[in-house]
Amino acid sequence: MLNASYFQSPCLIANFQEFKFGMTETEIIQKLQQGNEQAFKQLVGLYQKRVVNTCFGLVHNTEDAEDIAQEVFIEVFRSIQNFRADAKLSTWLYRIAVNRSLNFIRDNKRRKWFQSVDDIVRGKNASIEVISPAHSETPAAEMENRQRANILHEVIGSLPENQKTAFTLNKYEDLSYKEISEVMEMSVSSVESLIHRAKLNLQKKLYNCYKKKCF
Amino acid sequence: MKCKTLHTKIIFFLEGELPAAEMEQMKIHLLECSECAAFAEEMKKTLAIISNEKTPQLNPFFYTRVKARLENQTEQVVATRQVPVLVRILQPALFSLLLLAGVYTGIKIGQPANVNSDIPVFAENEVVPYFNEMEAESIENFLME
Repeated sequence: MLNASYFQSPCLIANFQEFKFGMTETEIIQKLQQGNEQAFKQLVGLYQKRVVNTCFGLVHNTEDAEDIAQEVFIEVFRSIQNFRADAKLSTWLYRIAVNRSLNFIRDNKRRKWFQSVDDIVRGKNASIEVISPAHSETPAAEMENRQRANILHEVIGSLPENQKTAFTLNKYEDLSYKEISEVMEMSVSSVESLIHRAKLNLQKKLYNCYKKKCF
Repeated sequence: MKCKTLHTKIIFFLEGELPAAEMEQMKIHLLECSECAAFAEEMKKTLAIISNEKTPQLNPFFYTRVKARLENQTEQVVATRQVPVLVRILQPALFSLLLLAGVYTGIKIGQPANVNSDIPVFAENEVVPYFNEMEAESIENFLME
């Protein structure tokens, strides 16, 4: 089901920001291809929040998200010569961010399998995410928020990759279905279907959790 | 509306994606059913976490770190390229030669010393002359001294 708010493109805001920073997307690409450091700085400044946010929506850890985002910008800097102007720079960035994050999750799963014994011995719990004090009023509320966030992250993490990507881009980045379809290289109707199924899965899993008194 | 129907549509209700008539039915049901209202509240709170997480604190050192990482990677690539080809080939060749020399020396040391004699002499074939201790010096003579 398409909602009008989904079509309020953040790219329009991005274009405005680009003009505000003094360089258009085309200029940034041209200067980056010439190896201009200032253009790279501007690119990082423009897209840092969006790339980190996208990575966070998939990996659910601030440090890991920043780490992946740094790799994304390095990859952009290294392969800007291969960038064809038929796609938007933001679409390309989102695509790299999604691919890098999904690779990280896959590698992490393998690593976790080997490290599980070590983690048990050390009493580590990697899934615990520290919620910033700004989001919580009391220790009890903070604890509740943390628990809720852990459950939500676990449920989002358990979604199939395509559903997870589409849902994250839609929810964390407020991308329209059309923009998501460009990032994921599929039709708008497929994206719509993916997000609908993701929501149904999320709802089902959260309801099961609610019945088991996870909250 | 049944509770089960609400459970399958609650996420779409919370996001305002249902048709107006259905939205109204859901609202009415939530007013009547306290259990569904509690579940709806939990779902609302859980989904609100996404909005809270959406605006992470921007790291002011982000660009500095990207730049440092980029330079570090570039240095590593340059360092790998700068190693002369001869060193990369000569080093393993030299170590291989040393290994072969070591093996050869080991074989040479392990070989018997007298290789020229026709009949091989082994310890078990050696004839030890019989030596009669009693004849050479009897116990009586020993005690007499």
